[in-house]
Amino acid sequence: MSETPRIALKGVTKRFGAEAAVDAITLNIAPGEFCVLVGTSGCGKSTTLRMINRLIEHSDGEIHIDGRPIREIDPQRLRRRIGYAIQSTGLFPHWTVARNIALVPGLLRWPRARIRERVEELMTLLGLAPAEFADKYPAQLSGGQAQRVGVARALAADPEILLMDEPFGALDPITRESLQEELRRLQGRIRKTIVFVTHDMDEALKLADRLVVMRAGRIVQQGSPDELLAAPADDFVTSLLGGRDRGLKRAALTPVARVMRPVDARLPVEPAVSPDEDLRLALSVMLWHRVETLAVVDKAGRVCGSLHLMDLLGETP
Amino acid sequence: MVEGTPAAANRVLLVLGLALLAALLGLDLASVAPNRILPGEGVSPWGWLGPGAVPLLAFPLLLMALAWRGSIRALILARALVVVALVLLPWGLAAFAADRVTGSQARVTLGAGFWTLLFVLLMIWVELQARLKGGIWLTLLPLLSLALALAGGHLESLALMREYASRSGAFHEALRYHLLLVSAAVGLSLLLAFALALAMRRFPRLRRGGFALLSLIQTIPSLALFGLLLAPLAWLAARYAWLGELGVQGIGWAPALIALVGYSLLPMTRNSVVALDGVDPGVVEAARGMGMSPAQVFWRVRLPLAAPVILEGIRITTVQAVGLAAVAALIGAGGLGTFIFQGLGQAAMDLVLLGALPILALAVAADSLLSALARLTRPQLRREVQ
Repeated sequence: MSETPRIALKGVTKRFGAEAAVDAITLNIAPGEFCVLVGTSGCGKSTTLRMINRLIEHSDGEIHIDGRPIREIDPQRLRRRIGYAIQSTGLFPHWTVARNIALVPGLLRWPRARIRERVEELMTLLGLAPAEFADKYPAQLSGGQAQRVGVARALAADPEILLMDEPFGALDPITRESLQEELRRLQGRIRKTIVFVTHDMDEALKLADRLVVMRAGRIVQQGSPDELLAAPADDFVTSLLGGRDRGLKRAALTPVARVMRPVDARLPVEPAVSPDEDLRLALSVMLWHRVETLAVVDKAGRVCGSLHLMDLLGETP
Repeated sequence: MVEGTPAAANRVLLVLGLALLAALLGLDLASVAPNRILPGEGVSPWGWLGPGAVPLLAFPLLLMALAWRGSIRALILARALVVVALVLLPWGLAAFAADRVTGSQARVTLGAGFWTLLFVLLMIWVELQARLKGGIWLTLLPLLSLALALAGGHLESLALMREYASRSGAFHEALRYHLLLVSAAVGLSLLLAFALALAMRRFPRLRRGGFALLSLIQTIPSLALFGLLLAPLAWLAARYAWLGELGVQGIGWAPALIALVGYSLLPMTRNSVVALDGVDPGVVEAARGMGMSPAQVFWRVRLPLAAPVILEGIRITTVQAVGLAAVAALIGAGGLGTFIFQGLGQAAMDLVLLGALPILALAVAADSLLSALARLTRPQLRREVQ
């Protein structure tokens, strides 16, 4: 990596009393990278996250943002530059949705018209109709809506960095999955540097550019999801990745479009998968219909390729 | 939901209706005395109206019939009936007085029947309010009726009003003083309790000792506390002339205020501490994480979220202080309690009422006002209910 990392942790340690919650970890996160810290509870991933915006002060080592040690930056100013979203959303119950989102721009003393514009823009970006939601109170929102507001609030002042501490942890599986999808799509557009903490490996695999596995305050392994699935460093990482189930997890990372063949006119149009669905889903469809070949049909309903059982094996060694 | 269930007889209302009937049949509504000294002569509805009182019985009977039906419509009718009865009550008294009272010293003392009637009617009102939605504004009608009857001078020959007329100046002075004492005590204890609560949050070790001391004060009977304060305050006033000039003495407003503040500190401090501690840590964490300064976190997040519970503390304290200030009359602090103790001394129950009824009214008014205020401070919850 030639450019300066956006966030650099160099031998960072956090001790609570005699015990080291985070033990000499070193980690570079490039601009625009989606970095997921994953591990069992108490492994120090949350502490690591909270050291980056100085909610917790590190005991040893150095943390740099854009090459500057964060100890030199006033904590409040630092935090206003960094988006922050947490599991319980932390929305202010006595403020409306619009006012909650406007929090950081307000602290930065943006002009009122610009704040209003920005709030509307963000609400639209996150699929919350401003007319319907702007004046609601958090207690009137569903869990998913509240978490969208939480994300909108974190993005409000257009920070370069976004810290997310198990933001989807308290949601039901269906809402969680759709918010994960949305976050990935959103990241494709806004390209923030995101540090995301979770204990859910499926979530981590789905979202991460870089996966950092932590255990007992140390980094066990880091790399792209594919690298980790291909070569887990030890038994701990293997079990975290789902043990023998990880073949399916890896298949879930590969889109159909990457391995499909040209159109095969002899194939029926049903059963079919779409090119941006993943191989795990394709395998499931094959199992369900007891077939070895599938048509690939795009959103417009056009047949754009075909998929054989052998193709799945080729991509998943 | 009440609408969905088949109507069943409302037993509470039936029993209360019976009580009404018994009060009308068996008890004296009021008594008439020729002057303040001589005992009065009790008068029942029959003694006053003779056979003309029979239609009065229609009221409890109708009420019981409606209670038997128990449907929503019947209950709404019953509520209307009760409101009408309460509205008519002062005018009934006025008519009775106009009919029976002769001479400028003669007076009407309210009897057991009247108080039972009033009490049972209010119980019925409470029962109906619990079953039916809305209608709080209906409370205003009886109050308005009473105010009109008073303003029109129709109730002048009530013994209570006679007592008031002969000492209206003292009454207003006592009322003013009572209010002053209560508001000074509540204001002062709010300031002290808030400072104490902040100190306890900053230095957790203060907590146990602080609360132990405040609870200890709470256990001292009010009269004993006044007694305990007498000597030190008298000594202080004698020692420092400027304190004496301020009006600080062993008796009077100084010990009363100190005692009231002492009693107010526990509920006020406890509510403030609990309220400030009870704010969702996630919200505070988010506030810090977004870059709010500690002062901003406190003033914009913690305090507004704690406000309803703190207001609850103020409400409890105020109601308590309104009552306690009455006892302070014993040590010469003035206030409405003066009439209570004078009346007890003279065996003049109407004079006691002249002190007690306004205290009751003040307590109820403070209670409902501060409850309404507490509701206003949580708009997000109020909306959620809808």
